Order: sequence, then structure tokens, then C-alpha cells
Amino acid sequence: MGKVTGFIEIDRRDRKYGPAADRIRNYKEFVIPLSEEATKDQAARCMNCGIPYCHNGCPVNNQIPDWNDLVYQGDWQEAARNLHSTNNFPEFTGRVCPAPCEASCTLNLNDQPVTIKTIECAIVDRAFAEGWVNPEPAPRLTGKRVAIVGSGPAGLAAAQQLARAGHEVHVFEKNGKPGGLLRYGIPDFKMEKQLIDRRVKQMEAEGVVFHCNVNIGIDKPVADLTASYDAVILAGGSEKPRDLPVPGRELSGIHFAMDFLPQQNRRVGHEPLKSNTPILANGKHVVVIGGGDTGSDCIGTSVRQGALSVTQIEIMTKPPEKEDKLLTWPNWPMKLRTSSSHEEGADRDFAVNTVSFDGEDGKVTSLTCVRVDNKFQPIPGSEFKLRADLVFLAMGFVAPVQEGMVKDLGTKLDPRGNVAADTVAYKTSVDKVFACGDMRRGQSLVVWAIREGRQAAHSVDKHLMGTTTLPR
Amino acid sequence: MIIGALLGADEFGFATAPLIAAGCIMMRKCHLNTCPVGVATQDPVLRKRFVGQPEHVINFFFFVAEEVREIMAELGYRKFDEMVGQMQMLDRDRAIDHWKANGLDFSKLFSKPHAAKLEDIRHSAMQDHHLESVLDRTLIEKAKDALDSKKKVSIEASIKSLNRTTGAMLSGEVAKRYGFKGLPDDTIHVKLNGTAGQSFGAWVAKGVTLELEGEANDYVGKGLSGGRLIVYPSKHAKKIIPEESIIVGNTVLYGAIAGECYFRGVAGERFAVRNSGAIAIVEGTGDHGCEYMTGGIVVVLGKTGRNFAAGMSGGVAYVLDEDGTFDKRCNKAMVELEPVQPEEAALSEPFDVLSHMTRYDAERLKILIENHARHTGSARARMILENWATYRGKFKKVMPTEYRRALRELMAENENRPMAVAGE
Repeated sequence: MGKVTGFIEIDRRDRKYGPAADRIRNYKEFVIPLSEEATKDQAARCMNCGIPYCHNGCPVNNQIPDWNDLVYQGDWQEAARNLHSTNNFPEFTGRVCPAPCEASCTLNLNDQPVTIKTIECAIVDRAFAEGWVNPEPAPRLTGKRVAIVGSGPAGLAAAQQLARAGHEVHVFEKNGKPGGLLRYGIPDFKMEKQLIDRRVKQMEAEGVVFHCNVNIGIDKPVADLTASYDAVILAGGSEKPRDLPVPGRELSGIHFAMDFLPQQNRRVGHEPLKSNTPILANGKHVVVIGGGDTGSDCIGTSVRQGALSVTQIEIMTKPPEKEDKLLTWPNWPMKLRTSSSHEEGADRDFAVNTVSFDGEDGKVTSLTCVRVDNKFQPIPGSEFKLRADLVFLAMGFVAPVQEGMVKDLGTKLDPRGNVAADTVAYKTSVDKVFACGDMRRGQSLVVWAIREGRQAAHSVDKHLMGTTTLPR
Repeated sequence: MIIGALLGADEFGFATAPLIAAGCIMMRKCHLNTCPVGVATQDPVLRKRFVGQPEHVINFFFFVAEEVREIMAELGYRKFDEMVGQMQMLDRDRAIDHWKANGLDFSKLFSKPHAAKLEDIRHSAMQDHHLESVLDRTLIEKAKDALDSKKKVSIEASIKSLNRTTGAMLSGEVAKRYGFKGLPDDTIHVKLNGTAGQSFGAWVAKGVTLELEGEANDYVGKGLSGGRLIVYPSKHAKKIIPEESIIVGNTVLYGAIAGECYFRGVAGERFAVRNSGAIAIVEGTGDHGCEYMTGGIVVVLGKTGRNFAAGMSGGVAYVLDEDGTFDKRCNKAMVELEPVQPEEAALSEPFDVLSHMTRYDAERLKILIENHARHTGSARARMILENWATYRGKFKKVMPTEYRRALRELMAENENRPMAVAGE
């Protein structure tokens, strides 16, 4: 409930970043938490809305006004319990979620929204620091076995829910450690990886068994899973990147973002690089194609590696800096978003399409670009060249990788190539096989993956036991 | 709207939807003065946030009308009137098959009356309220002397449940001539016999007394504005035990602002709801007595129902709590229960019962019960007075905490005024 008049008396104050000049020297997180008092003040701004739009703005339906009030009242432990009742991993979303809840906050209509994400992060960080986050093993085991393919946020959420319901859960991960894109996609400077290790430890104590370095469909046939488990959940993400098939694409120095980012995360995590050729930006002019979050991560990582310059181009026209709230609220608005990585030094250009990559000796040296209108049609005479020693393609992901597991299973796909399943049962066309997260819905947010993992767990538990007490 | 019309509705009320068109976001903070979109607040800062325009509401109604038109066209109706009461057009299976409809009988809702073939089944004729022949016309006629020249008049008449809002038009005449100040006490005394209809004594003005021998319906003394109401059972009703029998209905004194009333018997629910200044003595109440009361005095010489004093922010109530169980039936979210302190030193001048609400409880209570006994002949009042030493201690005073704080602050303010001013 917060304070009845809090929103009138207290201004929004959010976490600040450490100075860019300092933070680009390492790969550590640089968000400075608010003090306990300041966090309480911010929680006091929550208005206890009759219709809390944040409830549905948030994909996991966090009970935001409730824990805001608990923080305001100083009952952090109950706040942590409440927060965990809807979100298995608030320490992830408290760091990397774009916070659609704040876009939908009633205060965002004509004021500044409550700092929901900051409060969420403060609650869970405190809960870990105080030792309130402990394994919650199931009181009784069911004897049912569930295999989960993929240990990203969807797979982890499903695994935790199902283990707590008493099932024997095995998670198969193709990489060296669990976490999926949380570990290998999101740079450490946005989210440090010991947070994942901490959760994985909790989950292992709850009975979840992780099998890393097992790529289902390649190292181990998927038929093995369907044969020996009572249910299989596909949570392998949407990893097939969108390519840019223009002349010169074959030149060296042009990489998908997801060939570049995981390398650096492995370096930070002291893991062996999977590929033989290191991709490094130091001393290079870098061009990032694609204006989204992955593009931002490429910028921040390139800057930290010592790039000479970083330019980001985006095919869409530049969005407005401020949205028309009467039109957009409480929905997620299209507006210009400047990430911490942008602040660290990158040029941005909008409404730009790449015509070709040009190079010497098989190596890329520049891009030929053209300006486009809002239907992506080239504007004659607007061609220009961009110097580039290294190009990252960060234009989104079109679909899950189908070669291997998905093809072997023969599940039906939706028109976009995602594994077809609805959002009630999460059942694929193959018996006892379920799908959730990006693998089912296509590329999306961590918080949507957690939602789908939780809901799929509900459905799987019901499928196995006939009834379920897991929340949806 | 279509479903309503097919079920027989002629008129429609819109509440939330046009409010939302004007900018309401259903914050449900209308009572806290913190409406963040400036719809329901007096805070000038928040009111600035109101961006609604009449055109938004106009648009909303245009859209409603347009959609109604579209559906009417689908159904084959040219005029809205043609559609009213044509419940056979409703596809009702879906509603009735819903699990929530289990155990409900909808047959009457969907059966067309036989009259349908002969008469209109929509609103096509105005209702005649026979206003020209209501009881108040007679009363006004008979009170001519009082109205014109403040002469005391005494009227006697019989009343039945068809006579609604008795006393209101008479009081209107008083107010037209003398304003809220009205006439000297008891200038127009109306003695009525029988059963009064709804809203007996509504808005009765100062100088008017309605004395009813019989009983009354709901809403007695609604908006009472200075007059006096007295209701007691008929002398011929030998079997009635007044202190155990309902004498007036529900929601008595709704929004009363001044005046006094004496009911020899038990009232229904929500007695004195939203009373802001009237005095009432009754011998028992139903549930939710003194709900949202903001001023005045209520005396209950018997049992109350549950949830007494819910939302009561002003005025005081005295409840006779013989068995000590009132505590459980009182909603103490906003009030506290106090004992009635014994009389203080004798008062030098006539005591205004509506003054000094934080003290002189015994004095006030005794005066009111004496009035009650005198006006209604209440045996219970007389019994209490005869055993005053015992009964005084059995009364509980219901005191809204914020009201007490405000009275004390007011008192302190008065005391702090320079003496010279006080003496002037």
C-alpha cells in the first residue's frame, strides 16, 4: 500500500551507475543500490491502486503493491517470500528485466513510475544476504521423472517448480554450466554469474540434477529422453540468428553477436572458449548491426575490450524520445532507449540498411549503407560508407535451432518455426513432450521465460499427477 | 444495453464507463483525496492532472449508440422501442448453462407477460402520482394561519401507507416563507393516526411537529431539517410490547441535519445513517446503527444490531447496555466506548444538549430521556428515570475518536483567546 500520499511527497529516485570511465575497465556490475531508507521511500510512492496495472504489466504477475507495502513497513522477509511466490529468480529480473511493470505503473501515466525493479532487486539481494533464501525440497517425492532440455530461465524455472512438487528433475545443458543466455548471452557487467551459481546450488539441494555438456539431439538422442522420462520439457531457446545475406557476407570479421558475447563471458568465467578463433574488439573499429539489447551488449563488451570506435546501426526510424502516454500507457511504449552501454561511447544511427560488406584480402574493412524510409525502402543517393574491422550481427533470432532435437522429435512447428504449443497446456504435438520459453514463443525476455517455465511446470505436474498445486 | 432492452429496460444509467472515458482509471481512491488522475480529488495539484474533456464522453456515447444501432440492425429492429421487452430474442442458453447459474430459476425473467398482446410492454405512458391530492395539501390548507401569521395550529388527521413523504410539502411552505429558521417551536402540531407510508416526516422544518400514533415505514425523518417527529404505538394495539416491537422501518433519519425525534419502539437497520445534526431517541435498533454519522445525538434505550457506528466520524450515541454485550456489536474502527460519567455540579442556566459534547453526559442523557417520556409516554423511559442511579451506569457513550480530538482542539482554541475578547 505504501504511504497514501507518498507519490505526491516523494520524487522518483533510481539506482545510479558507476562512472563510465571506471566501469569499462572491468566486467563487474556497476549499478549502485539505493540505501535501505531510500528504497523504503521509493516503495512509499506505490499507490495501492484499485486496479494495479503492474500486476498484468509484469509477465510473472508479481504482486508488486503488496511487497512495496511490506518494504515500506520494513518487513523485508515477508516481502521476499511474496516476491518469490510469483518469480523464481527475482535476482535476474531485478537486474536485466526492462521492467514492463514500470511502464504500466499507474504513476507512469502522468508522473514517474515507482522504481519497481530497484525494489525487487533490493528485496532479493537482502533475502540472500540475510540467509532467507534456502532450498525448499519437496516433503514427498512422486517417483515421476522429468527431463528438461535447456537451462535458461525457462528451463530453470520449470525445473525448480517441478522439483518442489516432488518430481525427479534432470536438466540437460549443452554448454559447460547451467544458465543458458543468462550465463552466455548477458554480459557479466549486466549480471554477474555467481548469481546463477547461487541459484543452481539451491536447486541442486532441492533435487534438480544438472547434466552439462550434453547437447540433446547431438550428444544424446532425444529418443533416450522420451523413452526413459515421464515428461520432457523443451526449453532450448530461440538460437537461430537472423542473417544478413548481402554481398561480402562471407568476409572474415563478420560475426553473429552470439558468437562474440559467449566468448567474453567464458573468459570472465574462466571457461575454455568453445571456438578456436577468438573474436576480440581491441584496436578495431566495430559496427553493430541491430539496435536492440543484444546490440547494446555487443557495444559494452567491445568498449571493454578496447575498441577504437563502436557504431550501431538500426533499420527502423529513430523512435520518439518521449512516448504519447495517453496512447501507450499501460502498454510497453516504443521509444528511444539509451542503455548504459550506449553511454559508454557508441554512435547510433537509425533508418540505415546495409547494402554490402566490402573488404580486402578476405577481411571486412567497411560497410556500404543506405538510408531507408519507414517501409525500409532505400532513399536514392543516400549511400554512405562505414569503416569496420569487426561487424556484429545483432538483428534478433528467427527461431529455435531445428537441426537435431526438434527435427528428430518431429514436433509440429508454428508458422515462425517455433515449437507449437499453447499457453495453457504447453503440450507439443508429441506425447508427453512440452515446450516453453523462447523455444515455444520465439525470442523474448527473461521474465517471459520464467513465466512460461512456471506455467509449463504447472501443466506437466497436472499431466503427471492429475491435479496440481503449482501456481500458474 | 441491448440485453437490458430485450429484458424490458426503457432507460439506462451509465456510471463507471463514461467516468473512464473522462480519465478515471479505477484507482478506488475517491475517499482519500489522492486520485492520481484528478477526477475525484480536491487537491489542486492533483486536479491539474485531469485531462478529460467533454468530447471524450461524447465520443464514448457515440460509440455506444453506434454499436447499439449495429446490433439492432442485425436483430432487425428499426426503433429502440420495438426492441424493449422482446426477451425471446435473447440466446439465453449460454448464460443459463454457466456453472454460476446452477440452482437459479430464470423462467420468470424470460416469460413474456400475457398483457404483451394487448398493451405496450415498453414505457409509453406517464405515471400519475396524484400529487394534487396528497395528504400534505390538506395539512397546508389547515396550517394556513400558522404559515401566514405564525399562529399556533393543531391538526388531526388519519394516515395510511399510501401517504408518502408526509410533512415534506408542508415544510416546504414553511421554508418558502421563513427559510431554515422556520417557525417557533411546535407552531404547527399535526397529530396523525394510522400507518405512515415511506419517508414519513422527510425534511420537516423547524416549528413543525408530527406526532404519529401508529407506526411508520422506511426513511422516517429523511433529511430532517429542524422539525420534531414523535411516533408511538396505537393505544388500541394492546398486544404490542413497544420496547420489543418495530415502530419505524429502515434507514431512519438518512442525512438528517437538525431536529429531534422520539420513537417509542425499535427501529430497523441503518438507523440515523449519515445523520449530521439531529437528535433521536429510540428503544432499539437493527444492524448498522449510526452508520457514517457525522453529527447529532442518538440515544438507544435497548439492544442494537451488529456493526453499530461503522464509519461514524461525528456526533455521539448513548446505548443502554444492560447485559454488557454491546461491545461486541459495536464497530470500533472509528469510535471508542466510554462510560457515562455522573452529573457534575448543577448547571446554572438551561443546558443546550448539543453543546459540550465531550462532557455533561449524564445531564444530556437525562434531559433527552425525560423528553422521550413526555412526548411518547414511554414506559421504558419512565422506568429508567425512576431508577436513574442504577441505569446511568449501564449506558455506554459511543465517541468517534477523531470527533473528540477535533472538539478538544476547538475547545483549546477558544480557551486561548484573550480574556478581553471573551468578555466583550
